[in-house]
Amino acid sequence: MLAHVHSAAAFVLAAASGGTTSGKEESSNFLVSPDVGLMVWTLLSFVVALLVLRKYAFPAISEALDKRQRMIEESIDAAAASKAESEALLAEYRERLKEARAQADEIVASARKAGDEVQRSAAESGQAKRDELVEQAKKDIEGETRRAIQEIRSEVADLTVAATEKVTRRTLTAEDQKRLVEDALSELDFSSLGERSN
Amino acid sequence: MIKRLPLLLLPLVALLANPAGALALNINEDYKPQNEFKLDTWIDLPGPFDLNKAVFYVFVATLLTTLAMVLVARRMTQRPNRIQTAVEAAYTLMRDNIAGGNMDRRMAAKWFPFIATLFLFIWFSNMLGYLPLPTNTEHKVDIAGLQIPSLALYAATANLSVPLVLTLVVWFAYHIEGFRAKGVIGFYKGLVPAGVEGPAAGPIFAIELISDFVRVVSLSVRLFANILAGHLLILFMGGGLVVLLNLAVAGSVVLGLVTGTMAVAFFLFEIGLVATLQAFIFSTLTAIYLGGAVADEH
Repeated sequence: MLAHVHSAAAFVLAAASGGTTSGKEESSNFLVSPDVGLMVWTLLSFVVALLVLRKYAFPAISEALDKRQRMIEESIDAAAASKAESEALLAEYRERLKEARAQADEIVASARKAGDEVQRSAAESGQAKRDELVEQAKKDIEGETRRAIQEIRSEVADLTVAATEKVTRRTLTAEDQKRLVEDALSELDFSSLGERSN
Repeated sequence: MIKRLPLLLLPLVALLANPAGALALNINEDYKPQNEFKLDTWIDLPGPFDLNKAVFYVFVATLLTTLAMVLVARRMTQRPNRIQTAVEAAYTLMRDNIAGGNMDRRMAAKWFPFIATLFLFIWFSNMLGYLPLPTNTEHKVDIAGLQIPSLALYAATANLSVPLVLTLVVWFAYHIEGFRAKGVIGFYKGLVPAGVEGPAAGPIFAIELISDFVRVVSLSVRLFANILAGHLLILFMGGGLVVLLNLAVAGSVVLGLVTGTMAVAFFLFEIGLVATLQAFIFSTLTAIYLGGAVADEH
């Protein structure tokens, strides 16, 4: 840069000195002598450019840049907000999932418990039923046995009456017969029969 | 390329065979390279306000600056294309670095349009200067009977008047801001750096006062001289030197090949770096001067 200036200065000096020696001053001095007309035109042009740019160019460019900056800021904010929102949502869903899982576990546990309960109570009630049935059967058997013995007794009595009638050829009164049989039977032991049938 | 090499080396061989003949200097007295920067009146107007090449360049640069920026500004979209991206990058550079980086918030908001216009105006002027335009009215080309000025490189900023008037605006602007912020006496007291006291303050104040005035020269000449030097380098490398030295054919060809290559390099350097850098420096220094004028510590 300095070399630039130096070379220019050297040329300007050379041109200036050359101009004076050759007697044609106006041919080279124009390089360094300010021209009032050009200065005025430049000033006017610059002022026009300044006014036009200040009114029609800079505000629009500035506005567009600001707008873009705002948009970028907004989109960054929006992205941060949606990220936070999605994180919150995610946390909520996780929480819910955890709850759901706990609930499911609870449900399974209670179902299992209920099942066990049902199974246990079913087993218990079955046992009771069976016991009851067995008991009933026992009772029935006992009753039947007693009835059968009773029947046998009366059958035996009747047979005995018939047999005695044949033997004695006479008929006792019914009351006599009955008394006699009863006496005879009471001497017989039927308990062994009952035990056997049992 | 290999086949053409002997052909390219032929002038060099001729030059070496007869150095005295090939390098015989016969300076072309008729060729005046500085005339590329001479302002011939195009349209005569009363007073000093004649329209010429420089005025034309100033007008075109103004038109380009305003049109380009307004058109881009009116089509700002949320999904920018390349041009909008470039303009946005320039805008952010001007707002945050040039203005915002060197002034407080209030001053930056107030002076941003001024500094941004300075940057853009100088940048467009500089860039326009590397576009060959038919502006050389000294040498005209006959095209179908029409006398068309030949294509030439020129830049408004390569004329001292343009940077000088911009510098004067800057100089008055920061003085007015300084006077309003601190008062006239306060402003000039502020020229002496903090901590300088006693007998040293006098000479320091004198130096600072001179430096304050020298800013008019330094700010304007920095831009002017850089752009002028770039154009002169391109001019001389791109054929001016060959014409001026007026060597024999062999010497001219060798010189032309060497300087022509350098011309391309200088052109790329100027358009790629210097044009933007000088606009940046000018507007940054403006921001620094304005910021410094109202700052508590100078």
